[in-house]
Amino acid sequence: MVGAGAVGAIGAAAALTGCGSSNSSSMTGGSGTGGSTSYTDVDILNFALNLEYLEAEFYLHAATGSGLNSSDAGSGAGTVTGGTQVMGLTAAQQNILNEIAYDEQEHVRFLRKALGSAAVARPAIDLTNSFNALASAAGIASTFNPFGSWDAFMVGAFIFEDVGVTAYAGAAPLISTAGITAGYLGAAAGIMAVEAYHAGYVRTYLTAQAAANSSYPYLGYANKVSALRATLGGGNETALTVPTGTTTATTVVTPSAIVAASSSNAVGYARTTDQVLHIVYGSLSNTSGATTSAAGVAKGAFYPSGLNGKITVTQS
Amino acid sequence: MATQETRILDELIANRRTLLKTGGAALAALAMPAAARAASTVTSFSDNDILNFALNLEYLEANFYYLAAFGTNISTTNSLYPTGAMLQSIGGTGTQGSVTVKANPKVPFSSLAVAAYAVETAIEEGKHVNYLRSVLGSAAVAQPAIDLTTSFNTLAMAAGIGPSFDPFANDAYFLIGAYIFEDVGVTAYSGAAPLFTTTSTGKTYLSAAAGILAVEAYHAGLVRTAINAMDVANGNTALQMLTQKISATRYALSKAAAPSSGTGSGAATATDDIGVGTQMVSLAGGSNVSASTIVDADSTNVIAFARNTTQVLNIVTGGGATTSGTKASGVFFPSGLNGVLS
Repeated sequence: MVGAGAVGAIGAAAALTGCGSSNSSSMTGGSGTGGSTSYTDVDILNFALNLEYLEAEFYLHAATGSGLNSSDAGSGAGTVTGGTQVMGLTAAQQNILNEIAYDEQEHVRFLRKALGSAAVARPAIDLTNSFNALASAAGIASTFNPFGSWDAFMVGAFIFEDVGVTAYAGAAPLISTAGITAGYLGAAAGIMAVEAYHAGYVRTYLTAQAAANSSYPYLGYANKVSALRATLGGGNETALTVPTGTTTATTVVTPSAIVAASSSNAVGYARTTDQVLHIVYGSLSNTSGATTSAAGVAKGAFYPSGLNGKITVTQS
Repeated sequence: MATQETRILDELIANRRTLLKTGGAALAALAMPAAARAASTVTSFSDNDILNFALNLEYLEANFYYLAAFGTNISTTNSLYPTGAMLQSIGGTGTQGSVTVKANPKVPFSSLAVAAYAVETAIEEGKHVNYLRSVLGSAAVAQPAIDLTTSFNTLAMAAGIGPSFDPFANDAYFLIGAYIFEDVGVTAYSGAAPLFTTTSTGKTYLSAAAGILAVEAYHAGLVRTAINAMDVANGNTALQMLTQKISATRYALSKAAAPSSGTGSGAATATDDIGVGTQMVSLAGGSNVSASTIVDADSTNVIAFARNTTQVLNIVTGGGATTSGTKASGVFFPSGLNGVLS
């Protein structure tokens, strides 16, 4: 499952920062590069804002039945399709859900404030057909409603959180010197950490349930999602494991896999903007599966009209 | 000034209620006199200096988890090591030290899941040691002396938990012990990220540091989730209360000598550490609802806290970094850290 992901963050960083020589002349001062095009800090933060809109809508709908305030979505915001309140939660589960919803809402607000008038509006977001298509492609089922139960919701959350971590990790080295001075790098690092806390929660929950119940199916669903993300997003995945064994003075149980990181050096993965786009667009070229290296993918899955901003179309 | 700060700190630590109630004003008073010193900590350190600072912390974490999971420190051969749990080299520049810990520290885990977390985390922190050493090559610092017995007792006393604390006693105490480290790792890497140079090498290191930061945050998320779940299962908030005391103590220690405007964080104006518990939040403009605090982040922007190196030094040495230019030592590092940032 680790596959190409074993290349790890350093490899990804080299690809991002070291191999653009043929395009280096096109780079402008104070901007990073995401491949063949140079991006400004505003472009990168707006890319992140698109992802935060998606996460905020997903969690807010699950927590309350409705989404972002219109004042947080920007002028001309796209519509949100689907998303219903998850019912039947324990108080502890509702607290978790409220926390993550709040966190993502505040990330939207923070990025919009940091970007000011340059902030992109919320793009159109699909929370129904997207999950059905991905579940089908992942081999889980032909339809999948992440809002049906807490366990199903955890699988839905699993789809997003590790992606958020890898997206911010990949974006960090792209931020310009001026952007670092302005605090954007520290902010990106801090938001990435929050996404990893969330991912840690989701992965710990699924692992604990599976460890306690041998017939628990949701960890397996999550791993099917992980496999699909690996196909779409250049590897960069660590599948969950179900621990076995007992602890005695002379025995050790098998390890869990809460952390998604390179198996060689335990450094978290970083994804390029293209890899992230392929995942959130669910770059499914046809009914038989996913395509991993196509340029020109501009929309799909969670973003039926594509992202807003400069980083919207895959270049590879 | 240091004396005054120390006295205030002692008072804060002596009375948890006071600490929690005094809030911003007292903290601002604590913070201002140290502003100059804090600024001096963010001057020109090389990329290697920063990585070596991180390596010291990884030695600490890796030893803790190896001892909990396998019963031996990272440089001792053990037939229990599973695939991936490598025997680590600990030599290098500076003064090599040993690890002080109780006899038979292997935790008698009762929960399969918690035991598995320990094994996983040990493997990962060991890989971080190995990785940073390989990146640093001959510049890598040696493992400094590490104390995992007196340190926990001292912190437990300071936090008002009790006269002693054994993180190797059982599942719950192991999680609390892990709690002490993981959020500190997150804040340390968050604070260090913007310090790397903008050279190609610096960017490569930044990417690695960002990746390790993510892993520390996964660990922290794991630990806080497991603590929360254990309390829920027990129908009480006993462990959460411990985390809140520890967080308050970390906060007091980190603020004692260095304020900071952590990059992009709310560290300058409010606490830089939040225990596991609940908070009230407004979703989409609605009235306040209860929410958990699995994430350790500022409550406005929800960006994880960043700490500068002086603040981190103060936490891991128990306030040892109160005099600028003097090597900080104490608590987990009885002889201080190795390297320039110490």
